[in-house]
Amino acid sequence: MGKETIGFKGGFNLLDTYPLRFCNIIERISSDGIPEVFEFRVPAQKIQHVIVNLCPTEPWALPNWVILEHKTDAFLNKLKEIKTRYFPEARYYIAINKKEDEPVSAVKDYACNAEWMKVFAVDAKYPQDDPVILSKVILGIETNFGNDTMSQGVLILDAQTVTAIYESCILGNKVNSRYIALSGTGLKENEIINVQLGTSLEKILRNRVKESGQYRVFVNGPLHGREITDLSQKMDWSINNIVVLEELDKKVMFPMFKSDELVLTTNMLGELRRCVYCNFCDDMCPVDLEPALYYYSYKRGEKHKARLYNLEKCIECGLCSFICPSKLELLQIIKECKALDKQT
Amino acid sequence: MKKLLKPLEPILSKSLNKVESFIHTYPSVNFLFGSLFGAFDGLLRSAKETTQTQPFIRNNYDVKRFMGAVLVALVIGWVLPATYFFGWQCVVSKLLVSFIVGVFVVDVLWAIIAREDHISEGGFVSCLLIPAILPPQAPLWLVGLGAALAILFRNVLGGVGNNLVNPALFSRLFLTICFPSLLVTGYQMPFVGIPDLHSFRYGLDAVTHATPLTAFKTNGEVTSYLSLMLGTSGGSLGETCRLALILSGLWLIKIRVVNWRIPVSYLGSVLILSVFLSLIMGKAVFPPLFQILSGGLILGAFFMATDPITTTYNQTAKWIYGAGCGFITVLIRDFTSLPEGVMYSILLMNLLAIPIQSLMVKIRYRM
Repeated sequence: MGKETIGFKGGFNLLDTYPLRFCNIIERISSDGIPEVFEFRVPAQKIQHVIVNLCPTEPWALPNWVILEHKTDAFLNKLKEIKTRYFPEARYYIAINKKEDEPVSAVKDYACNAEWMKVFAVDAKYPQDDPVILSKVILGIETNFGNDTMSQGVLILDAQTVTAIYESCILGNKVNSRYIALSGTGLKENEIINVQLGTSLEKILRNRVKESGQYRVFVNGPLHGREITDLSQKMDWSINNIVVLEELDKKVMFPMFKSDELVLTTNMLGELRRCVYCNFCDDMCPVDLEPALYYYSYKRGEKHKARLYNLEKCIECGLCSFICPSKLELLQIIKECKALDKQT
Repeated sequence: MKKLLKPLEPILSKSLNKVESFIHTYPSVNFLFGSLFGAFDGLLRSAKETTQTQPFIRNNYDVKRFMGAVLVALVIGWVLPATYFFGWQCVVSKLLVSFIVGVFVVDVLWAIIAREDHISEGGFVSCLLIPAILPPQAPLWLVGLGAALAILFRNVLGGVGNNLVNPALFSRLFLTICFPSLLVTGYQMPFVGIPDLHSFRYGLDAVTHATPLTAFKTNGEVTSYLSLMLGTSGGSLGETCRLALILSGLWLIKIRVVNWRIPVSYLGSVLILSVFLSLIMGKAVFPPLFQILSGGLILGAFFMATDPITTTYNQTAKWIYGAGCGFITVLIRDFTSLPEGVMYSILLMNLLAIPIQSLMVKIRYRM
């Protein structure tokens, strides 16, 4: 039976802060060459728990309705097929955004008749969908960032991967395209597209970016994703969304009256200052760390001391740098301290 | 507001760009006025830096807004009530002196001499607090000296982000030592009633009275709680209207500028200890509610003790910090001949914050 809402301390509700709307019409883009085909390799380890993540916490991530198409039961039937074929002994957990009423009630109704799965209606605050947080909140399993959850017998799937496994392995079709959410201030409009794997990013973005002004391209979200400087890069299955942000490297008059123009750009939105102990970073931290301690260790030139403060627990979600009013590069500092840890 | 500013934008932006390029072409001009221009420019325009590392978007909240929120809360908390109770001539002249001496003379000169790259926003908060913690009839030179000392002391220690103790309170301590007679007299009675032109300008001039704390110490007189709450009893310029201070303090807690742990633990420990003491000692000590509502306790608990950089960073240590402030305040008020203990308690706990912080970190991470 479904369980009530559970969560974790900290986090940040990005969905309410940056409300993004996507166009309903889904366009298809085909690649110029032969598209790559999605392959699902059955993991060698024994899988005990399968978590299906139906809870995108970032506004620029692919929303649930694209995959579910208001036919949640059909989706869950697909999941059942996968269960009988591949992981018959595993327990299934569905993490779903509790604010999406329609799929939540559909999933809960379905779960009444299926004791092999459990439903968790969770708060969609970032970084709820991070593997470390998901396995900790749902299963109580502690994993470290960077380690594969598979070694602990936990398989985490998103909605699109579930349908792709069903299509390719059970129906035997070739899956060579996937849905991508395209959004950001550098684009003419936010839309969802169906792209064949192997298409270059340049082709996807052609005619979609605004002509005026510079832009920068990020895949898998600007918070923990990576920046793409070489647009000839090919699409692969790991890309869930593309965010194109306006590069606002000029001074804007009266920023206090123009918050709507400035947010969701690459602008720093403030000047570098010293840490003022505002405690925003440790209030936000989803794994209950104190990022300012790393900053002070770093500033004193004692990077090696940072690992005394549970540094290995950090999941690199980037919320501390995101929220810092002094605009300190906390995530960068954490990464440098972690890199030092590995060397010694 | 937005529409009004629209036609001004291109003109201002162009002229600011011209000034900027002029300053940057002449190194000696840049040496003298670069930081001044930077501070002025920072108030009008956003920064042009862009994110180079992960995460690539940042929250629209910076230290300027943080300090701006404190300034707004202080204006509502003490400037507006004090204008009503003591007249605008008293309040505005003190604010002007404090700001001109503190920010526009000392801070600017420091930025030029020490080659700081910017003028910090924190100076405005300190300068807005200085008149609030001095008596209403304090002479203007005292206010100016206080502001200069506060900013100078903070800058000597390394500016905002490095200050050891609250600069405003430190300068008041300095003034208390140097000019004791000026700091215990001049507690003008507030004006009560419908203001006319004269009272709006001067308040009730030249009628001074002992503060509620001194009155209790000398003849056991307990001022009514309603008058303490509304601010119709004597006291420093900014501490009298507790209602406004509490409301603006709660607003600061709501927008998370002020950490709720410190006011709660501070006021809570004052309440607990004073209840305990009055149960044992009866009328010899201050009654609990009078203890909380009198003196600068509310102003101190919401605005002074919570000054972010002088507290501890660790959240658990904040409870100890606040409780320590409360205990020292009650002990000084009840058992010493000093009229008020808030300033000493906060300054002492500011210094103790560093050992408390390192102790709590050691306990938490088992080092």
